[in-house]
Amino acid sequence: MAQDTGGAKDAGPWIDPLKYVSAKADLPPATIETAKKIGPLSYTVLIDEKHVVSKLYNMVNVPTGVWINEQGRIVRPNEVAFVDDRFKNFTGMDSEPYLNALKDWVEKGDKSAYVMSENHLREKLTAQDPNIARAAAEFGLGEQLYKSGHPTEAIAHFKEAQRLNPKSWNYKRQAYALTSEKDYGTTFRDEVQKIGGSKVYYPPPELPGEKKPD
Amino acid sequence: MKASMPCGLLLILLLTVLPSAANPLRTTIVYDDAATDLTSAREDVGQLWITTADLKRATRFEVKPQGVCRDELCFPLPKARQQEFVHKTPAVTWFNITAFADLVHQPVAHDAAMATWYFGLRSDQRQQLSSLQAPDFTLPDLQGKPHRLSDFRGKKILLVTWASW
Repeated sequence: MAQDTGGAKDAGPWIDPLKYVSAKADLPPATIETAKKIGPLSYTVLIDEKHVVSKLYNMVNVPTGVWINEQGRIVRPNEVAFVDDRFKNFTGMDSEPYLNALKDWVEKGDKSAYVMSENHLREKLTAQDPNIARAAAEFGLGEQLYKSGHPTEAIAHFKEAQRLNPKSWNYKRQAYALTSEKDYGTTFRDEVQKIGGSKVYYPPPELPGEKKPD
Repeated sequence: MKASMPCGLLLILLLTVLPSAANPLRTTIVYDDAATDLTSAREDVGQLWITTADLKRATRFEVKPQGVCRDELCFPLPKARQQEFVHKTPAVTWFNITAFADLVHQPVAHDAAMATWYFGLRSDQRQQLSSLQAPDFTLPDLQGKPHRLSDFRGKKILLVTWASW
């Protein structure tokens, strides 16, 4: 689910890697090689211009993964979901434990040790600060103004969304990308420094370490 | 530079005066993430009144004897407070959509200058998560074909968000 106010224009190139590399000049040969290897993606990729998924699931960053079982029930809630090591230098995080957990779930289903208990899930899903919903409304209003040709008027509402839900990196980064970090008097780098640096930017997934698949 | 100052001031004055003089102006409301332009909305001390016809057009909700309803969903209006929500005139029935938002614990964001109102998730929509059922949504792929999460029922789903930014 691409959380992109810019829609297909912004998200599209990442969904079709071959088109992406053919449309861009001066890409490093390694990127072109990777794109050729990946080719068109075989899984469903959707474009979420209004950040509907982030709003419904209370997500605050990307990538965020949720596991949903065959009955449509959440079995692992929001957590950082890296399926490769592209950003390892920034995050210091290895994708392998998460991938192993995922494989374990695919194999064992609800019996997997990585499927969370109902109590644990409720504990993680029910923290509801009313400001989170207010922030989502301010962000939605900002998007509406941006989309209707008023990017400058949108800024005040994007700022208010960031103030009401300071944990949302989605609100910060999407807003910076639509106009400029200058409109917000900060930079992504400074914001990351404020919380203690890139190695704590993503809270690590809670994986029971001892129960890796054999 | 100095010569252009009065023109600038005049323009600002005009811009400040125009909206009230030409009231009601076009109002935009965003409900369930869909924007609708209204030509006959009325604003009164921070409250937004719209016609019941516009209510149906913008939200699909209708005022019925049992409450404000859409499909199976119905929110009864408190009997003693009907006049806070519904105001009938011979020509048209007005509905206070901001008071209704308050009743159903729905956050509202407003931009006065742009006459735009955004209605967020009602508390019944926010509580979906605590049922542990994955909230359903429909979104398009790159070709514009819509996909609904619940269409994947019977399969395991790894739902992952990402972004270009």
